[in-house]
Amino acid sequence: MKNPPIVSLRGVHKYYGNYHALRGIDLDIGAGEFFSLLGPSGCGKTTLLRTIAGFEDPSDGVLLLDGKDMAHVPANRRPTNMVFQSYAIFPHLTVAENVAFGLRRRSDLDRSAKQKMVEESLEMVGLGGYGGRAAHALSGGQRQRVALARALILHPKVLLLDEPLSALDKKLREQMQNELRRLQRHVGITFILVTHDQEEALIMSDRIAVMFEGEIAQLADPQTLYRRPVTRRVADFIGVMNFLPAKVDGRTLEIAGLGRAEVQPDQAPSGMPSGSGHIGIRPETMSVLFEGEKTPVRVADGKVVELAYYGDMTYYQVLLDGTESPVTVSMKNLVGRKVLERGDRARISWDERSLVVFP
Amino acid sequence: MKGGGLLRGYALLYLLFLYAPIILLPIFAFNSSTIIAFPLSEFTTQWFREIPNTPALVESVKTSLIIAVSTALLSTVLGICAARAGAKYRFPGKAPILGFIMLPLVLPEIIVAVSMLVVLLALGLPLGHWTVILGHTLICTPFCIAILNSAFANLDASLEEAAYDLGETAWSTFRLITLPLVMPGIVSALLISFTISLDEFIIAFFLTGTEPTLPVYLWGQLRFPQKIPVVMALGTILVAMSVTLLTFAEFMRRRGIAKAGRKDTGGFL
Repeated sequence: MKNPPIVSLRGVHKYYGNYHALRGIDLDIGAGEFFSLLGPSGCGKTTLLRTIAGFEDPSDGVLLLDGKDMAHVPANRRPTNMVFQSYAIFPHLTVAENVAFGLRRRSDLDRSAKQKMVEESLEMVGLGGYGGRAAHALSGGQRQRVALARALILHPKVLLLDEPLSALDKKLREQMQNELRRLQRHVGITFILVTHDQEEALIMSDRIAVMFEGEIAQLADPQTLYRRPVTRRVADFIGVMNFLPAKVDGRTLEIAGLGRAEVQPDQAPSGMPSGSGHIGIRPETMSVLFEGEKTPVRVADGKVVELAYYGDMTYYQVLLDGTESPVTVSMKNLVGRKVLERGDRARISWDERSLVVFP
Repeated sequence: MKGGGLLRGYALLYLLFLYAPIILLPIFAFNSSTIIAFPLSEFTTQWFREIPNTPALVESVKTSLIIAVSTALLSTVLGICAARAGAKYRFPGKAPILGFIMLPLVLPEIIVAVSMLVVLLALGLPLGHWTVILGHTLICTPFCIAILNSAFANLDASLEEAAYDLGETAWSTFRLITLPLVMPGIVSALLISFTISLDEFIIAFFLTGTEPTLPVYLWGQLRFPQKIPVVMALGTILVAMSVTLLTFAEFMRRRGIAKAGRKDTGGFL
């Protein structure tokens, strides 16, 4: 976080009856940041977003927006605006009326000024000239854009996005991810995105908070999160991670199926275990060696038990000798590189610098 | 499809049984004979002309309209409150409370009428328009709730949150977003409760004061055969009005749905 915090949470708890939805959230989100709350459904990420918006009152703890305590400030007077999962486009109004909705109470602006703002807002999200359309006649992607324009026209300090892309198909989703990122850089407003899609979070965010069971498991930038997850659970949630048991002696590891390795302290983000532990290794940091290729330092042998051909990539399930469950190895399908078959022997090269050590 | 002819015949008979008596109404309303029987004698509009000259009849129509309009407004407002509370809020005892509100739907009207009469007399309250309105509101409110429930349940809760989030107050959100979107339901509820109240007999008969409602008046007139054609003429006007009203209501409902871009599910016509 480079800038001073615009959103600060201190010890925020939320109970629904006996259900403990948020368990002591401490969080600072910087001004102008693209921040993601990532986690499986039921982890409390939406509750946290709705708490910031003012739709939920925290049972305990403090929420500051732009340095001001929000304890008794209702949602309609907070400097936040929200893009809802269903987009919540008012179906009985036109596109322009939807976008202008938040300007109703701005008596300092005359009609033509409001109209100009609406047009600019629609232009910004790529819907210039759509103002007169009926809102219910829009496609999913267009609704999304109207919801963005409607929220951004008020220049909120923080824009809250509740799984805004989950209802779109894959192509459109990828396109909107880029556009959202570009839009956020353009307007410079803090975006807080709730998502269960780890790829989406990695692509778009400056920083990501991974949440499980009402707690933040890890708060980091995308690269750190991917390369140095603090727990096996986080590692498993972000991308694909292979886990192998290992004997630990200081910095020296004896890994089942892979062999001996030396690691640096930063490769054990939750501390180096003593005695026994696990290592995590990503599929793309290992590769299948083909005949004639130069033999690197670290190799391990095994058998291909399953493979999935994706066109650009092949994902092999390789059972390393002396282990019980296979590891995933991903290979780019380069020109001239053959695809192994099920049952083939495979020699795997790996790099000890890519290991992560877990207790 | 086999058996199609049989089913079609059954459907036709069913419709005939349902509507034939109503078709007879205009036929005899324009018949000059006071005896309700075929063959018809001459065509006449005499019975229609007699309506305004029967002050008691005109009075009873007026009474009925006052009661029906009041009932429609009252029970729709109560229905809006109950349906919204049921759709939006959780509160202790919600299920039994909503269940008890809906109970008059299946309660025999005669029981409601007699028990209300007993209570009102025991309290020493005078019978009048308001007692009939009270009784009619009691039986119409469940209908309104049933209609409005679906209107409110179809409403995406995030629409209200979005309006609130964009700076509106709870009340202006209700006025600007909720009300327009449930308006077709409100119109339906108004019309249904109006219609129920207009032709309700038992409660009106028990709870009416010195001025009878139209159904009560008509029932009284059936003892005088020479009055029957006038009653039929009035009936014809009422049927024509109901059809017009319901057509209008359905038109409004469909337009509302089209405007909101929702799929048409059900309705009364």
